[in-house]
Amino acid sequence: MSDDLPIATLLGFGPDGWGWALVSGAGLTLAVALGAMAIGTLLGALLTAAQASRAVWLARAAAAYGVILRGVPELLVVLLLYFGAPGMLAAGAALFGLPPPGSPPALLTGCLAIGLVSAAYQAEVFRGGMLAVPRGQIEAAMAAGMGPFARFRRVIAPQVLHHVLPPLGNIWQFNLKDSALVSIAGLAELMRVSLVAAGSTRRPFLFFATAMVLYLVMTSASTALFRLAERRGQRWAGGR
Amino acid sequence: MTETVLRVRGITKSFGARAVLRGIDLDAHRGDVIAILGGSGSGKSTFLRCLNLLELPDAGTIEIAGAAAPLVHDTQGRARIADPRALNDLRAKTAMVFQNFNLWTHMTVLDNIVAAPVHVHGVPRAEAADRAQALLEKVGMAGFAAHWPRQLSGGQQQRVAIARALATDPDLMLFDEPTSALDPERVREVLDLMRALADEGRTMLIVTHEMAFARDVSTRVVHVRDGVIESMGPPALMFGADASPVFRAFLSH
Amino acid sequence: MSEELAFLAATALAIVRALPITLVLSLSSAIGASMLAAVLVAAQQTRIGRPLAHVWIFVFRGTPLLLQMFMVYYGVAALGPIRHGVLWPLFRDPLFCAWLALTCCCSAYIAEVLRAALAAVPTGQIEAAKACGMGRGTRVRRVIMPQMLRLALPAYGNELVMLIKSTSLASTITVVDVTGVAQLVIAHSYRTIEVFCLAAAVYLALTAGLTALLRRIERGLAQ
Repeated sequence: MSDDLPIATLLGFGPDGWGWALVSGAGLTLAVALGAMAIGTLLGALLTAAQASRAVWLARAAAAYGVILRGVPELLVVLLLYFGAPGMLAAGAALFGLPPPGSPPALLTGCLAIGLVSAAYQAEVFRGGMLAVPRGQIEAAMAAGMGPFARFRRVIAPQVLHHVLPPLGNIWQFNLKDSALVSIAGLAELMRVSLVAAGSTRRPFLFFATAMVLYLVMTSASTALFRLAERRGQRWAGGR
Repeated sequence: MTETVLRVRGITKSFGARAVLRGIDLDAHRGDVIAILGGSGSGKSTFLRCLNLLELPDAGTIEIAGAAAPLVHDTQGRARIADPRALNDLRAKTAMVFQNFNLWTHMTVLDNIVAAPVHVHGVPRAEAADRAQALLEKVGMAGFAAHWPRQLSGGQQQRVAIARALATDPDLMLFDEPTSALDPERVREVLDLMRALADEGRTMLIVTHEMAFARDVSTRVVHVRDGVIESMGPPALMFGADASPVFRAFLSH
Repeated sequence: MSEELAFLAATALAIVRALPITLVLSLSSAIGASMLAAVLVAAQQTRIGRPLAHVWIFVFRGTPLLLQMFMVYYGVAALGPIRHGVLWPLFRDPLFCAWLALTCCCSAYIAEVLRAALAAVPTGQIEAAKACGMGRGTRVRRVIMPQMLRLALPAYGNELVMLIKSTSLASTITVVDVTGVAQLVIAHSYRTIEVFCLAAAVYLALTAGLTALLRRIERGLAQ
């Protein structure tokens, strides 16, 4: 019975140990968070552009997307995608007369679910960042003959980046923590591994505490990284 | 006959129901220094911003150093840019110095100056940097190349902004109240610099409130009132006894 | 078609029946978390309390709430002193465990909001209060607290919205709240999308309602 196994064995990398499972679980957690962040950045930028669009229906649709995805529990989004995706895919396939393709991989579903939520928050951040670039500096770029691409690349993007880095750091932390919800979809990320280990060894406190420590390592390491990046970019703004 | 650098015909511009410009014609030849004077709300700044199409005029034509402003108007009279490349070509022939300097705060002084030559005109970076150093010396800012804009006083920022404007060797320089945001004791250093530019034959359009500068430096004074040119002429005439009564009333204000 | 409508109506009814659980959980954790956050900020002002509050905030902000809930419901409850002690009746109740996890987690976020607001109260106003002879208690009550609450309100409101959304995690430890009911209905009917959309609409109504209410209060305070 594993009740008697010492902690070092349980958390170790031996045959009775869960060490490797936990480490690879943490790796998958990072993968989900990274995938979600990337999806969120892409979709978030599109949403920001849509909200600034002159086409009223497009701007309204983007705004509505934000209100809904920020007002609904992340768990519901994960559940909807996990349980709803096979049916949606089957319906889509049926339109083309194809057989139902079955469930998409859990990693993809997880990234997409967290990414859809992340996009709603990132769009807000980008919008704020765009507003923070002084109008006069954009005019100076126009007056110098820079086209839209050069203006964005040389003047707008660097300044927006400076303004959005701290809030993006926050969103990254939320992605990291929200990735635990994907455990419900059966993906063996850190939360899921600790749950399985807790169940099969009947040592829930030990494994949940270990998982907490691993999450803390990931969140505080990313805090440190973001702070480093901010400090680098901050020389022109009066930082060190 | 000297070359015509700027040719403006029939510029009008409204913001909503308010007509700001109501038909302006103006020519500038190479070496002209034109001071544009007028009360606040007269439309003088809007006129200047129409020339490089920061504002799109509702009607009229603009030609700068042989290039026409690529403007088209739809059926409701709204202006639109016909050709974005021609727009940037037109702007590249001009340079603007703003009231609030508008230096790019995330670039060093040097990067501010080389940005347009490198990214708009395709000048090699090393060459642009050499020229930027010479320009910094000219505006009295040698040794500040590595500074950030926030580290400079208003007068210093404006001198860097002028160096930035000179970097592309523009056919036409537009100054939009270049000394209005400066502390009184900093105004002189910027005006002296502008006087030096006039002396070397730069073509300049200057919206300003500095009457003494307009009288001493400009080749022509233009008085804008209610969106039209009320009177214009050489400074000796405009500031003399035969000037228009309306302009005299404006001066005595 | 009418069968579809009947199903939706029955589902809506089931979800509405579960609404009190979500509301009670939200309200009680909001109260608990706010009070705990106030204690944390007060503790931060003392030399002994500062590192303790710091660790508390670090742990609860740095780990997923889902993990915290499992920790309380399965982890802590498995410990001998809890399992065989006087607290067992509490810890065997999933609703209590959900409340405890939500309270602890949200207290950390709200404490950060309050701390930032406290730091934003202009020192000149505190000095002015000192200068006119106010004692420490009067100063806190009459000058610091009102300013702090006004400054904290927008961010505090965001945290409350987050809290309402977070109550849905209680369903993972067998609490039958709005999300829990939705999952049960799906397990029986396999009509995923309609049911989740109904549940989502309920949460959206709650968060939108709260946002509107807070905006009204903000506007009232601004006058």
